Amino acid sequence: MFFVVVLFKFFSFLNNIFIFLKTNQIIIMKSKLLLITFILISSLGYSQMLEISGRVIDAKSNTPLVGVNVEIQNTSQFFKTDVDGNFIFSKVPSGSKLIFSFIGYKNYELNVTKSQKLTIEMQAASESLEEIVVIGYGSKKKRTVSGSVGFVSNKTIEELKPIKIEQALQGTVAGVAITSGSGAPGSGFAIRIRGISSNGDNAPLVIIDGYLGGDLGILNPNDVESITVLKDAQAAIYGASGANGVILITTKAGKKNTKTKVTFNSYLGSQETTKKMNLLNATDYALLLNESYGNGGQALPYPIVTGLGKGTDWQNEVFNKAPIVSNDFSISGGSDKITYSFSGSDIYQQGIIGGGKSDYKRNTARLSLGVDFSDKIKLSSYFTYTYLDRDSLNENGLGSVLFNALNTPSTLTPYDSNGDFTLVPSTTGFGIEIINPLAQIENTYNDYKLRKLNGGFTLNYDVVKHFKFTTIVGFSTANSKGKNFSKKVNYGGKVFDVTRSSVNQNAINNNDYNFDAYGTYDNTFLEDHKIKVTLGTSVYKEFGSGLFATGFDVPNNSWEFADIALATGTSVAGVRDVGSYGYDERRLSQFGRFEYEFKGKYLFSAMLRRDLSTKFGPDNRVAIFPSFTAGWIVSDEDFFKKDGLFNFVKLRASYGLLGNDKIGNNRYVGSLTGEGVYLFDGTLSTGVAAGVLPNPEIKWEADEKINVGIDLKLWNNKIDITSDYFIDTRKDLLISNIPVSGITGVYAPGSGSPTVNAGTVRNKGFEFSINYKDKITNDFNFGLGYNVTTINNKVLEVANSTGYIEGGLFGVSQPAPSRMEVGHAIGYFLGYQTDGIFQNQAEIDAHPSQAALGSATSPGDIRYKDLNGDGFITYKDKTDLGNPIADFTMGFNLNLNYKNFDFVAYTYASIGNEMVRNYERTLANVNRSNYILGRWTGEGTSNSVPRVTTAATNNNVFSDYFVEDASFLRIQNIQFGYTLNKTLSEKFKISKLRLYAGVNNLYTFTKYRGFDPAANDGSPIGGGIDSGFYPTPKTYMMGLNVNF
Amino acid sequence: MLIFNTYKMKKYIIKSSIAIALFATLSISCSDNFIERTPVYSIDSENYFNSKADYDNALVAAYDLLNSSYINVMLGEIASDNTLSGGESATDVIGIQQIDEMTHTPQNSNLKDLWNWMFAGVNRANYILEFKDKTDFSGKNQVIAEARFLRAYYQFELVKFFGGIPMKGDARFKINDEKSIPRSSATAVYASIEVDLQYAIDNLNPVAAQKGRATKGAAQALLGKVFLYQDKFVESASVLEGLITSNTYSLVSNYNSIFENAGENNAESVFEVQYTDAEGASFDCLQCSEGNVAVGFNGIRNYTGPLFDSGYSFNVPTQEAYNAFETGDSRRDVALLNIVTWAASNTGVSYGTGYKHTGFFNRKYIARQGDANVGDQNLTNPNNYRSIRYADVLLMAAEANSRSGNNSKGQEYLNKVRDRAFGDTNHRITVTGQALTDFIWNERRVELLGEGHRFFDLVRTGKAVGKITGFTANKNEVFPIPFEEIQFSNGNWQQNTGY
Repeated sequence: MFFVVVLFKFFSFLNNIFIFLKTNQIIIMKSKLLLITFILISSLGYSQMLEISGRVIDAKSNTPLVGVNVEIQNTSQFFKTDVDGNFIFSKVPSGSKLIFSFIGYKNYELNVTKSQKLTIEMQAASESLEEIVVIGYGSKKKRTVSGSVGFVSNKTIEELKPIKIEQALQGTVAGVAITSGSGAPGSGFAIRIRGISSNGDNAPLVIIDGYLGGDLGILNPNDVESITVLKDAQAAIYGASGANGVILITTKAGKKNTKTKVTFNSYLGSQETTKKMNLLNATDYALLLNESYGNGGQALPYPIVTGLGKGTDWQNEVFNKAPIVSNDFSISGGSDKITYSFSGSDIYQQGIIGGGKSDYKRNTARLSLGVDFSDKIKLSSYFTYTYLDRDSLNENGLGSVLFNALNTPSTLTPYDSNGDFTLVPSTTGFGIEIINPLAQIENTYNDYKLRKLNGGFTLNYDVVKHFKFTTIVGFSTANSKGKNFSKKVNYGGKVFDVTRSSVNQNAINNNDYNFDAYGTYDNTFLEDHKIKVTLGTSVYKEFGSGLFATGFDVPNNSWEFADIALATGTSVAGVRDVGSYGYDERRLSQFGRFEYEFKGKYLFSAMLRRDLSTKFGPDNRVAIFPSFTAGWIVSDEDFFKKDGLFNFVKLRASYGLLGNDKIGNNRYVGSLTGEGVYLFDGTLSTGVAAGVLPNPEIKWEADEKINVGIDLKLWNNKIDITSDYFIDTRKDLLISNIPVSGITGVYAPGSGSPTVNAGTVRNKGFEFSINYKDKITNDFNFGLGYNVTTINNKVLEVANSTGYIEGGLFGVSQPAPSRMEVGHAIGYFLGYQTDGIFQNQAEIDAHPSQAALGSATSPGDIRYKDLNGDGFITYKDKTDLGNPIADFTMGFNLNLNYKNFDFVAYTYASIGNEMVRNYERTLANVNRSNYILGRWTGEGTSNSVPRVTTAATNNNVFSDYFVEDASFLRIQNIQFGYTLNKTLSEKFKISKLRLYAGVNNLYTFTKYRGFDPAANDGSPIGGGIDSGFYPTPKTYMMGLNVNF
Repeated sequence: MLIFNTYKMKKYIIKSSIAIALFATLSISCSDNFIERTPVYSIDSENYFNSKADYDNALVAAYDLLNSSYINVMLGEIASDNTLSGGESATDVIGIQQIDEMTHTPQNSNLKDLWNWMFAGVNRANYILEFKDKTDFSGKNQVIAEARFLRAYYQFELVKFFGGIPMKGDARFKINDEKSIPRSSATAVYASIEVDLQYAIDNLNPVAAQKGRATKGAAQALLGKVFLYQDKFVESASVLEGLITSNTYSLVSNYNSIFENAGENNAESVFEVQYTDAEGASFDCLQCSEGNVAVGFNGIRNYTGPLFDSGYSFNVPTQEAYNAFETGDSRRDVALLNIVTWAASNTGVSYGTGYKHTGFFNRKYIARQGDANVGDQNLTNPNNYRSIRYADVLLMAAEANSRSGNNSKGQEYLNKVRDRAFGDTNHRITVTGQALTDFIWNERRVELLGEGHRFFDLVRTGKAVGKITGFTANKNEVFPIPFEEIQFSNGNWQQNTGY
């Protein structure tokens, strides 16, 4: 509290000075004004004269606009607004028109019919320096922003047609990477701003119109006006929640004094897989198996190969074309005092695998209402109701649908002669996980429904001139229901056999709210000194509960009857078929920001935030986060030649300390949440045991962000360049479940290792983006955008004795392939380095023994490098085989407008990211990708693909043989549109009608053999392992936009 | 003009003051105590043990880790000359593969599991013992005695596998203890185990209140074993004699019936780890399974046919182990399933051949049909592990007596076991001295084959070299301390010799 009090005192002191200065200034201004008015009056004629006066403000920020040109149309009479945005025309002829114009803003016209005093809100023209950017608890002109800020306008969102709003950030904002572990309908996205810094939660803070608990996943993209991304220390106003970056969403609201505007957008699409892998057909498969069995000294499984033909293409069997339909409408408008916007949307998407078994439906309804209670008190509010319905299939893992489709051989048929699903044989060669993928789809039953109400209120009170008080309340309450039916099913002795049907249901209630209040003092004194002070406090609370239950013996073994209401069976005595949890987490903050501009070209801001969080124990609850930004608009200097190549040059720098508290709840206190169950007298007894080992000392992750950047406009403002260099160093990394000595009992059931501040990760990088806009003729204009981001990720410290943390899964029961270790990128792959294929026994004899890997080596096997030179290949020879973090990510975007036609193309590239091929079940009888046709079959035949054999080999230990370069270039979206001539459409009372056709995810250029090189669930340790990723579909779409 | 401005300024100040007052009120109302809240629905681990029920509940949790000792049983066989690793391929559970080959290094996930899980058991027992004086109630000695029995059981497993381990008395290990508490010598660990077990013998009921709980007899048998492992033959013979003469236990007449579901907790069962098929399980947390994970691992690969369920074909017995049985020994076809013979004599049998396929399976502990197959059925087999059978007690007593010079008792106890095995008295052993001891050792192998004792019997009797392929003397007697643990200890603990 102390620093708040100090700031308050400082603030009131400043206030007194300003008032004094101001009163004197007003006198000077007033006399000038009188003089101008006098001149104006004297030059006017004697028609009916009206007096028009008022104030011109920016429509978004409500800040006064200084120097706006106000002229009476077709006369030479004009006036420029004063420092407070005021203007006055004492004698304006009735019926004339006033034109308000200002650089960077759209012109505003006013028909003069009566004398009045009014407030003119001018709209910023998009993408100019005068554009207002929200920076958290306030906003700023883009021109004077001194932090690193990314921006996506609703125009981009409209063009990209994202199903989920996260997709609009892909390739459009430098430094922001969007990945998804799946292309299944409704699956989530991982957003990483400037790389992966934490081995825990790297998700940025999302704020929707001031509501701190924002969830991008459920937004209707058409409700979004703009997205602002705070990438550097600028985010420090959010202190402890800002370390992963901040995404600020501004949603659409009605505009004052506009007629009711109705829009309707609709599209219809067809989705299909972007790729099918090249697998062996039945004949090739049989031949390969014969060779493999022969090499293993076993009888040939297919003595007769003729007549097998191509067999079943399991990928054709599981992939289907799937529809997507989207409709939304909005009604918006506003009067003098009230603005409103109402919108609704409906989207339905089926999966390219399983159709309706993996689908996604989202409905949203939204009301936005703004009310000016008086000139000084203004309220804006919104309510959103979202309904989600999602069904999903088993994905990306041993036993996923795609995994089965890839491994089931083409010699098997999907259905038997009775039309029933065939069984994949339960023999050693097939293992016990591989099942008929079609049967798997058929027998998967689940359902997830979410209903969420979310709202926000912002009350602005202009207390006195220059001092504004703002209160924000945001909330959400969500209820979800999930159901999962395990049908009694027999796959013929596989692990997925279910001998007793059951239905698992859950009901989860999540709530949160924030209450923020802050005051802003904004003043300019002595003409050149602009000062803005913001002081505030914020509370945030999230709370909720979940209830789980399972019922057994579902009537008729059928989804129709799958509900606990009907399933009367229970587990045997002692087993709990029910469970629940509850939570209550809070955060309390005070913050202050001081902004200073000298002559509008020297920019400085300082921020300080104090946070308290229930995530930490009493001793470490409080943390203070300071930060600074500075900027210099070089092009405003006198020495700068305005008529040169450069129109605008700004240098920026920022430094700050931010925090992260995203860890599990109550990690500082020991709770009896462990599992202690044992059988006595044949019945399970439930005991009580310690849960996760507590660590009373845990504290915030401290993130030091350094950024220097430059903003340029050149060639008559046609080219726009922004470039940044940054260093993010995340210290005191909160590593949850950090490996600790087993003597502490942390490996007991339901227990776990503590969360410890034990690491440092640094991300260094460079961002560059360039936009070029030009008008060739009045009919033809275009825009080009390119951005590139480099990320250099390095772990600087893992303070847990072993010096590393493992993660990820490879193969069956193989050691974890991914690591976080000092000197490497977080989540790098650790394995053996291959050195070609042994061509003959002499080569094997000459090479260090590979026996320690478990099996004998024969010609045709992989040769591993003896990196430590001890003469043996052992685990000590494992090395860094790459990592899933891209070295470069790029976006290239193009839009063209010619007469009524428009065209956009968005591409995205990722270079230098590795992916682990883990969708191959290394068993004797599984199907293979056709690269195996280039295998070693004798001396000199191959030096990259080992022989096939059923005998034991070391070829399947984790090595770079399984690590592939997953660099790619993807054409994300192309769209071609046509807008009907206005004269034509207005006949139908339509102000705008646009028809378009487009393709999302058109093509991906890559060498990667798997389905989707872009797929990555974003896990810091263990990401980038492909066990059969559900590919993002290619979507052909046609749609229309109508405005009434 | 000036007056006007003063008025305006006053208004300004008043308004500002109101705003500041409002602000201040708001800040105070959101003062730091907003953050004060107790965790929702949770019990603080340091504020427990307020009633008998609390002790009972914590004791249940201390028993829980017995379930995870399945890996001890598997490794005790696979490391020995009884069985091979098996599995799907050379890379299937590499830790197990390496132990079979005796090429294991400190980086072995299975040894790491074993270390972690047994210490988890020690810590859960010590949680009770740390708070043993907090609340009094009648019958407390029984609770404390069970906790001390469990601690001894877990520590014995640890000392068998790793030699000396760190100990902390009646207190849970805390983080950083690994950097300060040294590894006690094996002798000191055994001494502590002996004291715990003596307390257990003095305080435990001879008959368990519930099947599965430790009894006086279990403590006696374990103490007898602990003495035997230290070559304290007189002490061993004495404590086992007490157990035998109590007549609490007897041999079951039909050897085969012991290992079927109906034979669980029978008259011969001195201590038995209780497993159930009632709850699901997954590979993410094998120690969380209430089923016998080893049974699924040992099971016949891709089996279809009568009686058995399929599994992962680990822990496959060798031909040499098969041949170790004398003609007429009824135990051979109980301990070992000859899959070729079985397939020939039963219709509809098919099976897969895994890595290091021998044609034999560990029949005592492979999956049987008829259980509930809940969750991942391979991880939830209900077969109890017969940890200490009366036959084991008799053979231990025989050995202790034989090696301390009491030939007649040695013969008597050995022959009790042999009589049952052959169903007659024609196979009795009458030799004395070392010859008798040799017979007893061989009898242990065939009687207890598949039950996880063989490796340690070979080691403690100095017979491992030559019998176990790849066994290196003065190294492989114990397993390496997990690599991570040595790292964590930061130089406090030395790795075992040779690793």
